[in-house]
Amino acid sequence: MTVVVSPSADAASFKRARRTGNARRRCHHGDDVVWRWAIFSPALLLMLALSVLPLANLVFTSFYDVTWAQGQAIWTPRGFANYAALPGDALLRAGLVNTLIFAAGAVAGQMLMGFVLALLCSRVTRGQVFYRTLFILPILIPGIVVGAIWKLMFNYDFGLLNQAIGLLGFAAQNWLGTQQTALASVILVDIWHWTPFCFLLFLAGIESLPQDIYEAAEIDGASLWQELRYVTLPLMLPTIMVTFAFRLMVAFKVFDEVYLLTGGGPGTATEVLSFTIYQRFFTENRLGYGAAMSVMVIFLVSILLVTGLSVRRRAAVVA
Amino acid sequence: MKPATSGRVTRRGVVVGGGALAATAFGAGGHRARAAVAEPISVVINQSPWFDSFRQTVELYEKQTGNKVDLDVNPFAGSLEKQRNSVRAAKGQYDLLVMNSGWFAELYFGGFVEAITDIDPSFKLDPDVYTLGDTIWFDPVKKVMTPAGKLMSIPISPLIPLLYYRGDLYKGAGLSVAETFAELEANAGKLNHPPGVYGIVQRGARGTASVSFDFYPYLYGFGGGIFKDQAAGDYTVTLNSETGRTALDYYLRLAKQAGHPKTASLDQADVIQNMVTGKAAHIMMVIAAWSQMDDPNKSAVVDKVEFAPPPHAPGLPTAPGLGHWLGGVSRNVPDGRKRAAVEFLRWFQGKDAQLANVKAGGIPINAAVYRDPIAEEHRYRWMKPLAAALPHAINIYQFPQASEVTAILDLGLNRAVAGEITVADALNSMSEQIYGVMGKYDYKTGKLPPLR
Repeated sequence: MTVVVSPSADAASFKRARRTGNARRRCHHGDDVVWRWAIFSPALLLMLALSVLPLANLVFTSFYDVTWAQGQAIWTPRGFANYAALPGDALLRAGLVNTLIFAAGAVAGQMLMGFVLALLCSRVTRGQVFYRTLFILPILIPGIVVGAIWKLMFNYDFGLLNQAIGLLGFAAQNWLGTQQTALASVILVDIWHWTPFCFLLFLAGIESLPQDIYEAAEIDGASLWQELRYVTLPLMLPTIMVTFAFRLMVAFKVFDEVYLLTGGGPGTATEVLSFTIYQRFFTENRLGYGAAMSVMVIFLVSILLVTGLSVRRRAAVVA
Repeated sequence: MKPATSGRVTRRGVVVGGGALAATAFGAGGHRARAAVAEPISVVINQSPWFDSFRQTVELYEKQTGNKVDLDVNPFAGSLEKQRNSVRAAKGQYDLLVMNSGWFAELYFGGFVEAITDIDPSFKLDPDVYTLGDTIWFDPVKKVMTPAGKLMSIPISPLIPLLYYRGDLYKGAGLSVAETFAELEANAGKLNHPPGVYGIVQRGARGTASVSFDFYPYLYGFGGGIFKDQAAGDYTVTLNSETGRTALDYYLRLAKQAGHPKTASLDQADVIQNMVTGKAAHIMMVIAAWSQMDDPNKSAVVDKVEFAPPPHAPGLPTAPGLGHWLGGVSRNVPDGRKRAAVEFLRWFQGKDAQLANVKAGGIPINAAVYRDPIAEEHRYRWMKPLAAALPHAINIYQFPQASEVTAILDLGLNRAVAGEITVADALNSMSEQIYGVMGKYDYKTGKLPPLR
């Protein structure tokens, strides 16, 4: 943000006045405050229009039931009834539990694989461009294509996965159709899809680490494990934490993979929050209740966001 | 049709498609269409297996009348959202709404569809047009679908499920067509040789009216139902009756004894795939899939699949659930375009247009076509069974909150098929939830004692 100072006030006197409170009085009585708000207000209004207003509208809607008659919308006040109904929604409960499992499993897998791949790739001297391209390929594929690829891979009758395990003498599995494997299968797809994101951030982090510390460790006779444990990991911690926060937030909002692969089934085995909202809000056309559900999810994601930002700040301080 | 960009159909194949259709239509019927010159209209429609036949029929309309039709083609869910957005606006984008059985009630009750006879009082419904559970009419005061109400729409595709069965396997095993559930069970059992051929492949996955749509012919064919009497406004939930239990028991037994081992995860595409790859002896499938059976590029069982009305319990009629599409005129478009949409519907409902429709691969909405010599041709061997079943088709939902009930059914039935819960638990829990939904919207409702 640019602060515009009146030409009549020199910098030194302005600082002094600010310290003593004179500036505040001057700003309130002078023209500069008008000017300041004049240039600030368009940005503020734009921000309000684009972010706060839709959110406020969502919150407003969550206190109503919306129906239609004679071509007109009828808004019936519900107070907190839509929110009160949330804990009793079995689909929402299943979605919340599955989302937590999904986020934990997928992010842990992506972080681990991404870090290992980044480490390996950073040590490769020949063909690094090839490996980088290969590893980031899944992230370039549109979600709908990812769904198609894995729907075919998991197919019970002719899927590549069942054919592969068949060659090893194992019976065909119904990957997406049983309670035991459906969520794990979706997590596997998400790991495959988003590991490149972690890989890219980790690789950038590893390549920016100061080499003199590694040279010192080598002189001190550190093994590869010790180097990883006592040099790489501590130095990479800020990057790891930021990547973790970003991925956790995105994993919490998963929708496309579930929609395309399982539709939330079998039963509620792969029901996730975003899919539940989609069902309630769009399919069932329950705008008020769907809005209340959305507000709750925004609240949960905000907690993740705040946690992520605070972790990032802490990581920056450590760095 | 207007040339269009992504998601829209360009005018193409007029010479090949429309020309050929025109020739066949004139040759078969010899009648000229009588549509008046009208403004261009915009139609929002879904990308269904029958869409291409509709497109070709529309091209014929354009060729015959000179009127222009713009088709906005979308996936199923996308079509619904576009219709909602359009009708809720001050000025609608689409003149003709192609509405599915799952959401037309929402648009009727919401006052978004204008009665055809209000737009053009001289409009006469062709007496041979199927009225599909009276869903083309609506009484906005009494909120019921009845011929005493106003004419709100014309059927676009009269979809119901039929029993598809492998005629060659039947012949080889010396079986006769299954008319009752007992016969179906026996035939499926005899033809069940997994993993090469499954006796029957059912659509047990959870989705938007997936397993529930597959289950309706069984539920209603056994004499059961979800509600006591919708037409009379009695929404007492009867799903968990003894009849309901018999139907679900049968459905699960069929899956277990003669079905695909992964029924709980099979959706519509999977079921069709099993049939066209020769792995299913029977499927209960919406009739729109018939053309895929005989398409040598898609099917390994060309000319081997036969059709029959869905089986039923002895003494009861066949009872397929409606999965049809209706064309209604949007309330919030200019009068000229409303009249143009009505002109199109007037033309579309006639025998000539429907004859062209069926030759293009569509399902005719006019009974006269089913009496035409074309129904005797082997290629159209599904027409007689369809004509026999259509008068018995059941409109499952007559209220706008149907999607909430469908979601409950799809989840509960899927859990039962997957073996997560027992039949009694599934029926009891679904009934309790449906009772809650109906009560929430102030319908006259009630419930049966839980099954034990």
